[in-house]
Amino acid sequence: MSERAPSRLLALFPALAALLLLGVLAIPLVALVLSTAPADLVAGLRHPLALSALRLSLLTTSLSLGLTLLLGTPLAWWMARHPGPAERVAATLVQLPIVVPPAVSGLALLLAFGRRGLLGPLLDQAGWALPFTTAAVVLAELFVSAPFYVQSAVAAFRRLDEDLLWAAGSLGAGPARRFFRVALPLSRPGVVTGAALSWARALGEFGATLMFAGNLQGRTQTLPLAIYSALETDLRPAKALSILMVAVALAVLGLLGRGTVLEAVRART
Amino acid sequence: MLELELEVVRDGFTLEVQLSLARGPTALVGPNGAGKSTLLRAILGAVPVRRGRIVLERRTLLDTSRGLSLPTEERRVAWVPQEYALFPHLSVLENITFGTPGRAGLAHAGVVMDQLGLGPLASRKPGALSGGERQKVALARALAAEPRALLLDEPLAALDADTREATRVLLADTLRRLAIPSLVVTHEIRDVLALAGPVVLLEAGRIRSAGALDVFRASPPSEFARSLVTPRAGGV
Repeated sequence: MSERAPSRLLALFPALAALLLLGVLAIPLVALVLSTAPADLVAGLRHPLALSALRLSLLTTSLSLGLTLLLGTPLAWWMARHPGPAERVAATLVQLPIVVPPAVSGLALLLAFGRRGLLGPLLDQAGWALPFTTAAVVLAELFVSAPFYVQSAVAAFRRLDEDLLWAAGSLGAGPARRFFRVALPLSRPGVVTGAALSWARALGEFGATLMFAGNLQGRTQTLPLAIYSALETDLRPAKALSILMVAVALAVLGLLGRGTVLEAVRART
Repeated sequence: MLELELEVVRDGFTLEVQLSLARGPTALVGPNGAGKSTLLRAILGAVPVRRGRIVLERRTLLDTSRGLSLPTEERRVAWVPQEYALFPHLSVLENITFGTPGRAGLAHAGVVMDQLGLGPLASRKPGALSGGERQKVALARALAAEPRALLLDEPLAALDADTREATRVLLADTLRRLAIPSLVVTHEIRDVLALAGPVVLLEAGRIRSAGALDVFRASPPSEFARSLVTPRAGGV
C-alpha cells in the first residue's frame, strides 16, 4: 500500500505537468479577455492612440512583408539550390535574428544606420535620416521577421523534385517560367506559412523598434508600443489592442492550420 | 541526326561516349549503373559535361572547346524520365500545353491528345491517373513541345504487365512516325524488338556496340547482351 501511493502519483505526473503548463499558457489570455468588458473594448479601440497605432502597424507590416517577399524569395531560392560555404554563411545570418534578443537587434540597427552609425555618414550625404522614422520601423520589422520567411521558403524549395524543373526546361521553359509555373506553386504551403509567420512576427515586434525607431505616436508607435504606452495612462486601449492582437494571432494560426493541411492533401493528388 | 561526343565525370564515374543517332527510335541498353540515365541527362544539359560536343540537326547544342553550352530550354530536346515528372498541380491539358502556350499550342496539343486517346482525361490531375495514362500524358507533353530530339528513360518500366504490352506498341508506332532522333533506355528485349531500330549497348560508361537490331540479336556483343537476347528460363 505504502509503495503504491507514490507510484500512482508518479504515474499521474505527466498529466499534471501537462495541465500545469497549459494553465500557465491559458490563464493570462483568459484574464485578458475576462478583465475587458465589451464597452471597454469598443472604447479602447476607438481611442486615438489605438487608431493611429493600428494604421501604422498595418502600413509598416505590409511594407516589411512586401520587402521580405521581394528580397527573401530570391535569397531562399539561391540558398536552396546552391548548398556550400557561401550558403552556410547566409544560413547563419538568416538564423541569427531569430535567436538574438530584440533589444540587441535594435542596438545593432542603431549602430549600423544611426547618425553616427557605420552607414550614418553615407545616409547623411544622401539626405536620409533613418532612426526615429516610419522607415526605421519597417527596417526593424524586416530585420526580425524576414528570417522566418526565408527559412520556411528554403525548406519548401529544397523539397522540390529537381526532375520537375529539368522536365520543364526540356519543354522550353526558361528560369522565370520554371520558377513561377512549377517551383512556386509546388512550394506554396511552405512559402505561405513562412509569409504568415513572418508577418505575425513583424506585427508583434517591440524591442528593436523601440530602440531603433522610438515611440512616437503616428510615426513609429506600432500596436505593441501603443499597448506599452497606454499602460501609463488609460488601460482600456491597452487591453483592447491586446485582445485584437490575440484575435489576429488566432486567425493566423487558423489560416496556417487549414492552409497547410489543405495544401498537403492537394499536393498529393 | 544527333551527334554526340561526350565525357562526363561524376562521383568517380566516367562516361565516355561517341555516337551518331539517325532519325527514328534507337534503343539504349546496358546493365544497371552503365551510365544510361547520365547520358540522357548530359544531352539534356542536366549534368555538366567535362569535354565534348552535341550537334542536333546541324545545330550545336554544346561544344566545350568553344565554351558553348545552350541552356536546357534552348536545346529542344524533350525528356521523359522514369517517373515521368508530370507537374502534379496542373491538369493533363495544362501539362501537355506547358511547352507550347497560346492558341496554336492548344490546337497542336489537341491533335497529340487525340492520337494518344487522352481527350477524356484533359481536366484530370496526374495524381488521378493510372500508370499507363500517366505514361501517355508524359509522352504527349514531350511531343506537343515539338522537340527536335526525344529522350525516354525506361518509359514502360513503371507499368504493370498488361498496360506495358498495350503501351509498347503505341510508343513504338508513335516514335517511328515521328521523324526525329529518339533515344529510349530499356531493360526489356521486347521493347527493343518493338522499337525495331538500332541498338546501342552501354557498359561501364562506354559504348560496347552500336548497330542494327538484327546484328545485335544474331551475335550479342557481351555477356549482358546475351542475357538480354536470350529469354530467361521460366520467363514469359
